[in-house]
Amino acid sequence: MTIEDVLSIKNLADEEIKKTGDLKSVQALRIKYLGKKGVLTAKINSLGAIPKEDRPEYGRVINETKDYVESLIKQQEEFFKASELENLLKANRIDVTVPGFFIPHGYQHPTSRVLDEIVDVFLSLGFRIEEGPEVESDYYNFEALNFPKDHPARDMQDTFYVTDDVVLRTHTSPVQVRVMEKNKPPLRVIAPGKVYRCDADVSHTPMFQQIEGFMVDEHISMSDLKGVLEIFAHAVFGASTPVRFRPSFFPFTEPSAEVDIGCVICGGTGCRVCKNSGWVEILGAGMINPRVFEMVGYDPELYTGFAFGMGVES
Amino acid sequence: MKASIKWLKEFVDFPLSPKEIAIALTMSGLEVEALEERDDDAILEVSIPPNRPDCLSIMGIAREISAILRLPFKNISVSVPKEEGEPPSVEIKDSALCRRYASRIIRGVKVAPSPQRISHRLELHGFRPANNVVDITNYVLLEMGHPLHAFDLGRLAGNRIIVKTAGPVNKILTLDNAHKNLAGDMLLIWDADKPVAIAGIMGGLDTEVSSSTVNILLESAYFNPVSVRRTSKAINLSTESSYRFERGADIEGLGSALNRAAQLIAETAGGKLTAMTDNYPAALKPVHIPVSLSKINKILGVDIDFSVVRDLLIRLGFEIKRAGEGITVIPPSFRQDIQRDIDVIEEIARLYGYDKFPATLPAVRMQTMPQGSGLFPATYRVIKTIENSMRSSGFSEVINYSFLNPLVFDTLRFPVNDKRREVIKIRNPLRKEEEALRTTLIPALLDNVILNISRGEKSLRFFELTRVFLPAGQKLPHESLRLAAVYLKSPHAPSLWQGKHEGFYEMKGAMENLFIKLRIKNYSFTDSDLCEPYLYPGKSCAVSVNGRNIGSLGTLHPALSESLDI
Repeated sequence: MTIEDVLSIKNLADEEIKKTGDLKSVQALRIKYLGKKGVLTAKINSLGAIPKEDRPEYGRVINETKDYVESLIKQQEEFFKASELENLLKANRIDVTVPGFFIPHGYQHPTSRVLDEIVDVFLSLGFRIEEGPEVESDYYNFEALNFPKDHPARDMQDTFYVTDDVVLRTHTSPVQVRVMEKNKPPLRVIAPGKVYRCDADVSHTPMFQQIEGFMVDEHISMSDLKGVLEIFAHAVFGASTPVRFRPSFFPFTEPSAEVDIGCVICGGTGCRVCKNSGWVEILGAGMINPRVFEMVGYDPELYTGFAFGMGVES
Repeated sequence: MKASIKWLKEFVDFPLSPKEIAIALTMSGLEVEALEERDDDAILEVSIPPNRPDCLSIMGIAREISAILRLPFKNISVSVPKEEGEPPSVEIKDSALCRRYASRIIRGVKVAPSPQRISHRLELHGFRPANNVVDITNYVLLEMGHPLHAFDLGRLAGNRIIVKTAGPVNKILTLDNAHKNLAGDMLLIWDADKPVAIAGIMGGLDTEVSSSTVNILLESAYFNPVSVRRTSKAINLSTESSYRFERGADIEGLGSALNRAAQLIAETAGGKLTAMTDNYPAALKPVHIPVSLSKINKILGVDIDFSVVRDLLIRLGFEIKRAGEGITVIPPSFRQDIQRDIDVIEEIARLYGYDKFPATLPAVRMQTMPQGSGLFPATYRVIKTIENSMRSSGFSEVINYSFLNPLVFDTLRFPVNDKRREVIKIRNPLRKEEEALRTTLIPALLDNVILNISRGEKSLRFFELTRVFLPAGQKLPHESLRLAAVYLKSPHAPSLWQGKHEGFYEMKGAMENLFIKLRIKNYSFTDSDLCEPYLYPGKSCAVSVNGRNIGSLGTLHPALSESLDI
């Protein structure tokens, strides 16, 4: 082996590599020159046969040749890989304007959406959720809420009866009584659920959803009721929605209030939805009647509280 | 209650337009539901709450207006013409049911149509004019709120009145020309021999004032509200009169109503009237209600002083005395709804104006939740997870009525001993088909499918997650949560699956998704004959979790889909 041998290998490799037309032939040349049985590998392996004094010179030349071939092959490989990728991308174009596959998606019932929205407002104020039965005893639906038997106030609600003593609840208010019977104040509770009225026309359905809410502690006032319900109305209907409170009557609250908001349809100028009044009633509320506290064993001189109830659909 | 602005102004001269007075009334508790403007008048339709029978009259509403607007109330001046002849003979046998009965006889009336000013007003307020005597009783009812009744004295046996219960008598023919079945404890008005009216509800046809009537007996009484209400409900007859008695009439005011009517009858129908027979065994004792100023301010969250409270209550006609720290309030006789301090506080709040209250936020005391349940009942999170999972599997939520038609069990091929055939029934359903409460959610979902097919839908997925009502052998049924879902698969609907396949597997996939989201691992779908009778044998399975059967899944039975035309 002479230095010239090595240099001629270098020249040949240089010529061959530069002539390649694809990745495969570059990889074949890698094996030919640099593989285990490659031409340059064989030269390195035969260094032992060179006289000791010439070995460093031979070693240097062979290594330089090997590095040169190595980098040349790598360069060529990268070139072909890049052009192959480019071809792949060109070949695999799809028509992105073709309609997508339909993945079915279900929807929440609009009533449930509104209900969740309302519930969220009160959860954020620290109210907790309670539930009660839809088939309810006369006691919880009426008697304990200060609707005595034979009282005209019972005419305010058309009732479905199961027996003389069992009704489909006409409101979610019985949950107030059930919760107060089992817990001591302070209480902050909302109770969403289905209620029933024996009534069906254009604006009434025999079943609808209500949300009851109440708060009981030692110093809850009517002004607090206003504050909390204003937060609610502004959260649900928008911060600039006007809210008004006016006197009303419910047997289980006293004083009682109806809460109206400025009509969102006409902006308060008067339309069919608000019957030209500019206001739409959204809920009934009031201070819990001391008689209800007496029914559940709370001291009405110690505790005060407010309650409210609203239909979700309307 | 309808109220003419013109008529109201006879009692209180207010400078507000009809629209303004409607707002003023609404904002102090008498909601004006409609306003009908006429050429020279306007009619308010006022919703009177059940605790305010005193406002079921023109005078009552006028009294409210005078209190709201601080305007003087012009009371009616009644001047009874010269009295002559024997006053009527009245005996109250049951003074618990009739606490007062006042009456006069008017002899020699000429029954004829009413003068136009009377009949016009009656018509404006929804009453049909009859004759001058009957019309005046209605006119005074409207004006003063107290129900009156006029009997044809000539047809009252023994010329006398006895107030007692029906006892053995079980029938009466009333003015509406219908026989009413009576129960023994119903209060009636009798003459010497027979019942002549159902007390406080309707007179008898036999003693009706007619064109041949010459002498009349005019009744102004106070009947027990509960008794009137029970009778009215039992005979299914509600009248202007019973409506007021069951809410509570003014026992002290009934004398002036009688006099007002007697005077107007004498003026329009002529006749001579006798002195009043006033049977009033135990006079009403006015209540004295102590109210503390601090409680008023605590409950309302305001800071108002004695002078404000006094001014508000005096405007409402309450008597008020200073008593140490607080006050003692004596409401007028027509305000029987005012019994406790909270009733007085409500009146103060109402007239003070809710809009003047500040809006504050309560200071809260922190507490632990009962049983460590957090803000939700245990089921709440699970419900939300199931709803989310079903929606992400393509099912939309439906909310159906809780009612069920028991006939549907046969359609669904339920065996006769199927537990779900035991339903809770509603005594007064709106429709026969809605007489039971649901024990299964399936029928309503199938109805949803049928309705949607008829609207041209070809493919749909619905679910409902709600309660069914199962008899539990106690007063209230067991209310148990159920999930039901239905999938109508159209062969043409695009699908992520290649080729033809049974919709069953998509439904099964939705269930498997659900179990993953609920972190339930030990579930299985087993080919079983225990499956629902409405499912396709061989294309349905039982679903179980931890070895417990929790439901079924399958294609609808071909016989059923044919009979339902699905």
